[in-house]
Amino acid sequence: MQDNQYHVTLTGKIADATNIEHASAQFARLFKTTPEVAMQTLQKGPVTIKRNVDQATAIKIRNVLDKLGIGCRILTADEADAEARAATQNLSVNNNTSVKKDSSSPISDTFESPTDHPGLQFKIEGKPDYSFVTVQLPANQTLKVEASAMATMDTHIEMKTKLKGGLGRFVTGESIFINEFTAAHGPGEIGIAPGAPGDMMHVYLNDEVLYLQNSAFVASAMSVNIETKWQGFTKGFFSGENLFLIRASGKGDLWFNSYGAIIEIDVQDNYVVDTGNIVAFTEHLDYKISKVGGYKSLFFSGEGFVCRFSGKGKVWIQTRGVDAFAWWAHAYRPARSSG
Amino acid sequence: MEIQLLHRPGNTAAKVTLNPTEVCTAESGAMIAMSNNINVTTTTHKRGKGSILKAVKRMVAGESLFINHFEAQNTTGEVWLGTALAGDMEVMTLDNETLVVQGSSFLACEHAIEIDLGWQGFKSILSGERVFWVHLKGSGKVLISSFGAIYPIHVDGEYIVDTGHIVAFNETLDFTITKAGKSWLHSFLGGEGLVCKFHGKGTVWCQSHNPSSFGAMLGGDLRSR
Amino acid sequence: MKTEIKGGRAFSYLDVELSPGERITAESDAMATMSADLDLNSRFNGGFFPALARHFLGGETLFINEFANNTKSTRQITLAQPTPGEIKAIELKGQTLYLQPGAFLACTEGIKVGVKWAGFVSWLAKEGLFKIVVKGNGTVWYGAFGALLEKQIDGEYIVDTSHLVAYEPTIKLKLQLAGGIFSSLFSGEGLVTRVVGKGKITIQTRSLSGLAGWINPKLP
Repeated sequence: MQDNQYHVTLTGKIADATNIEHASAQFARLFKTTPEVAMQTLQKGPVTIKRNVDQATAIKIRNVLDKLGIGCRILTADEADAEARAATQNLSVNNNTSVKKDSSSPISDTFESPTDHPGLQFKIEGKPDYSFVTVQLPANQTLKVEASAMATMDTHIEMKTKLKGGLGRFVTGESIFINEFTAAHGPGEIGIAPGAPGDMMHVYLNDEVLYLQNSAFVASAMSVNIETKWQGFTKGFFSGENLFLIRASGKGDLWFNSYGAIIEIDVQDNYVVDTGNIVAFTEHLDYKISKVGGYKSLFFSGEGFVCRFSGKGKVWIQTRGVDAFAWWAHAYRPARSSG
Repeated sequence: MEIQLLHRPGNTAAKVTLNPTEVCTAESGAMIAMSNNINVTTTTHKRGKGSILKAVKRMVAGESLFINHFEAQNTTGEVWLGTALAGDMEVMTLDNETLVVQGSSFLACEHAIEIDLGWQGFKSILSGERVFWVHLKGSGKVLISSFGAIYPIHVDGEYIVDTGHIVAFNETLDFTITKAGKSWLHSFLGGEGLVCKFHGKGTVWCQSHNPSSFGAMLGGDLRSR
Repeated sequence: MKTEIKGGRAFSYLDVELSPGERITAESDAMATMSADLDLNSRFNGGFFPALARHFLGGETLFINEFANNTKSTRQITLAQPTPGEIKAIELKGQTLYLQPGAFLACTEGIKVGVKWAGFVSWLAKEGLFKIVVKGNGTVWYGAFGALLEKQIDGEYIVDTSHLVAYEPTIKLKLQLAGGIFSSLFSGEGLVTRVVGKGKITIQTRSLSGLAGWINPKLP
């Protein structure tokens, strides 16, 4: 066991860069691969080519590679693990392009809309922790944006404030206004930053319906209808803040956000989600509010009520709970000034 | 019990996969979603070994009095766990040893792990952490969380960790409260004030960010009570 | 000196390895962990009077810290901001950069950190009465809550108050209403900053006031 824990890793550096063809050919012969694959491997940067060999073998491989002028290092399994972890977490200086966050779920920090997508062109940056969307508005087009979420824009974009959502959002203390931004005298861009730290998703509604948790709305095309939906007292009351849901319908772009990262769950049959962690769900799911475990759990588990989804569809959940954060923040609130 | 961490390090969530009859014990309020075949029971302490004294200790420690046990029935089940604040998580496998975890960083563990509360002396009050610390003892997987990224410091001798940055440490380490610089004056003027000086040989896991500093920054913009 | 920004954009932190005789200057309370035998020295932030002015008028910290390695081998220190968010490094070769209050994290020896009156416009825009001026030869680390995005400005562009982090001296700031009077009152946008000129600006993709606005209705 002790012996077979050495890895050999290429540094991505080649002593004589002009002679890469020769090095690739030799490398291909040694590792029984094609010269094309070999050349890609050599140019890729740090990559582990041999795992779990004993020290003598590792040194032998290094000597061969040294002769070919291919840079490599020998690492113990522990060192390699540490480095791999560091590499996934590090953001190298002066390089803000896509960073791989986690090998199990490769996420780029920028998402650009495909050019053939039917809606507006946009770019989401800062994924998944501080997603920020920049939308390109063609001349005279209008975008609905959650109040106070605009962060940057071209100077010729005009803003109008509309009372939207009516009573629902008023009662819950959410902003009752949605702003409309119009590219008045030619195309322009607008950058949108939601208040909550977290991710953002884009969907193009094609005469479909999507339900959003009350504060998840970020922006939408004018052709998307945004309404608040009273959940009914039993559902609404027990699900805490979500007395109202947002019902988005129609055809066009819709952006919504989360507190924390977003996890998509394919509901096949039944799934349980904490009421504070729901971001959005598709139309054909049924849900009911229930307790988790016995009555003792209801009061003492700290989970309170949960939402039981049934049917077939998708639920998007957020990795952080709003209520828990509100309680945490509560401790830092300033005291009310006397009088 | 399999633990998979997603969306590291900013808003890590843990996906715990349980085989039938396997049990995962988690801090109150940590569940964010789960499959339908999970049975939840709530106790004041480890099932079958409840002790009212330990429960009272948990309460005094500012922890929830109750912990939850998630058990998969008949088929394999999954439970997603999250925390209140943004941040990372780390899975550690204990091999018949004790890990000392700062109160709010304990998230979950396998059923075989003994959960107890330990006392680090009055220095805890000054350390910017909870007065009580969770002692995890035995063999099996434990899941801890942090505000910010988690990084290990291998201490052999002395090392300084600012208050509010401790996540967990090996029992082989001890810490004292001291000043950051050579002079008390500079330490206080510089805003560093008190720090924890670890000594011994072992690992201390630190969180990159201090929740209290963030709370203080945010506090000014919050609605008054 | 070897430095590395770790923790991704969500929780950037700065790992520093100081060789014997080296030192690094950091914002007050930025130290998370460090070798036990580093020397800490506190000094006034930008000189005595500017420090006082900044502290009492701008709500900034009075002191900044200098960590020196006076031992005979390499020592470590880890620095972080009070808020989660991204940290960036910039090499200065004689040029100047303006930072918004709170954005400064650390710098190497050749950098001078000063303060400059930013004017009432800036104060009204909740960007603070003072701006931080960094100049010299060396590296500056700065950051904010959220991810940092850079934008090349040539002409005019609008940035919501409290989203601006850093800008080059060729950029001027102007304040204006976001829309008409009604919209500006009820839109939640209110005042916005118009940046004018040619140069680079850095914005943050979240703001603390935005976070507070989101969580305030949900507080118990």
